[in-house]
Amino acid sequence: MTARPRRPARTLRSVACWLLALAATAFFLFPIYWMAASSLKTENDVATYPPLWSFTPSLHSYRQLFEEMSALDALVNSCLIVGMATGLAMIAGTLAAYAMARFDIKGKNFLAFEVLSIRMLPPIVSVIPLFIIAKQLGIFDTPWLLIAAYTLSGLPFVVWVMRVFIQEIPQSIEEAALIDGCSRYQAFWRVTLPLLLPGLAATMVIVFMFAWNEFLLASILTSREAKTLPVIAANAIKPKAISFGLASAAGVLMSLPVVVLVLMMQRYLVRGLTLGAVKG
Amino acid sequence: MAELPATAGLEKADRRASAVRAGEKYVPWVLLAPTMLIMTIVGIFPLLHSLYISFTSLRPTEVDKPQGWVGLDNYIQAFGDAQFGHSLLLTGIFTILSVAIALTFAVLLAVLFNLRLPGFLAMRTIVLVPMLITPIAVGITWRIMMMPDLGVLNFLLSLVGIDAQPWANSKTSALAAMLLVDVWQWTPFMFIVIFAGLRALPRSPFEAAAIDGAGPLRTFFWVTLPMLKPVIVVASLLRIIDAMRTYDTVYIITRGGPDFSTDLVSVYLQRVNFKFFDLGYGAALSWLTLVAILAIVLIFVKLTGFMKTIADKGARR
Repeated sequence: MTARPRRPARTLRSVACWLLALAATAFFLFPIYWMAASSLKTENDVATYPPLWSFTPSLHSYRQLFEEMSALDALVNSCLIVGMATGLAMIAGTLAAYAMARFDIKGKNFLAFEVLSIRMLPPIVSVIPLFIIAKQLGIFDTPWLLIAAYTLSGLPFVVWVMRVFIQEIPQSIEEAALIDGCSRYQAFWRVTLPLLLPGLAATMVIVFMFAWNEFLLASILTSREAKTLPVIAANAIKPKAISFGLASAAGVLMSLPVVVLVLMMQRYLVRGLTLGAVKG
Repeated sequence: MAELPATAGLEKADRRASAVRAGEKYVPWVLLAPTMLIMTIVGIFPLLHSLYISFTSLRPTEVDKPQGWVGLDNYIQAFGDAQFGHSLLLTGIFTILSVAIALTFAVLLAVLFNLRLPGFLAMRTIVLVPMLITPIAVGITWRIMMMPDLGVLNFLLSLVGIDAQPWANSKTSALAAMLLVDVWQWTPFMFIVIFAGLRALPRSPFEAAAIDGAGPLRTFFWVTLPMLKPVIVVASLLRIIDAMRTYDTVYIITRGGPDFSTDLVSVYLQRVNFKFFDLGYGAALSWLTLVAILAIVLIFVKLTGFMKTIADKGARR
């Protein structure tokens, strides 16, 4: 009975919090809605003031994107480059993470931090030597250069995050398998790896996302053949003639895979994003 | 009697296991080799090459000009480069403000969404989306929304009776506009990390605070925040590293203008390197930037005990 006078106040507070949350959600959602809407407007509808809220959706911008901007080539390039780089970084990084998690290695922590320091390297610093080396080796404007660069920038994530995931699997499980007559290789393949799958998938999504979104290196290290999607999208914005519908369509096209992938993997993702340093 | 065979079996297995291990002395190095190879070839070697270039006057597009070794000239020139100083200062201001504002919003959002009201799960998922959008797409979208004459932002302002703003088109408001975009995109990242940290906190300190009669504000400042510190430190460090190299959105929206008011260091370096093709000088500036970033990260790490946070985690496992 004594609690009754407090109840309206509590309800009021809940409603206030709910409205606050709704406002925050609207703030974060609105630009995404606007991008999607702009991509479906015709050239005239995008440049109308006051802005159009209801319009007949048209796929014109998307068609133009594929027909005039060779977006399909860029999409193929992006998939190839990012796919290869993600795969290589995952394989090399997981092996290294396993070594760091399971063996006593001299200078282990130094190695780990050296790997982490790559994360601090601004791409603009390494782009000049990569540019020069690529010109000399004749691999400028080929996918190989970007594959190498993205593999490198993905490695720190993989090593750090997979180390934590591996450490969480008790070593005794592997030892039991060794005693049962498995080789170390078999113990890893049959016992540890299946337990690691969620961690591997989450890490892969993050590495994929960062490489997929990368623009600076891609814009400088490619000129025609190896262009990726962000480069195509940036090309739609020229100082004089900006094609808003086209640029928005490119934005949607390259953001969609990441959004879908990450929202699917949400549960495992936080530890990955924090380099495995924080339990999530 | 019954225990004896078991013990013998265990010893045998032990011996077998250690024999396997003795033969595997080099296994960790084999496992580490691919990573070290990639790091050396793609990471360290280009970096050292760039250090060498920074002592030359390499200008591949101007073959008539001298290209050779110039010693410390580039570095001496860099210290007198007011534009470089300006871009470093801008980057510093941008980083501090962007991380501080995003952190504040993120903590508030995390506390808010921790209330578990109906519909919060869906809203929380929606809030995450900005950090997943490709930065180039973010730049495009905000540039369209911030157009002074056609943009939807000024239209929305006019609905509530506020005058049209120049957003990224004026020297005075361009940096603030870039901050708005950055905060919009990266608050979700800090939010989800801090939210996860909040969910993982033990209940008992909150119960103790409630018994002691602490109000919500006191509980927040004296219980919640201190316990969240490790999470906040990690999220901030990662955000600081990334904010210092902000490029994509600024490149799309302002290209460093108007009148250099958003000329962050990455944008300036891009201009020196690939518009003027002054690669020797650009390499020197890159190295100075790298040293500055490392110094700031190290100071942050020392001040916050970041390493200890990680070491503690390691020890507990």
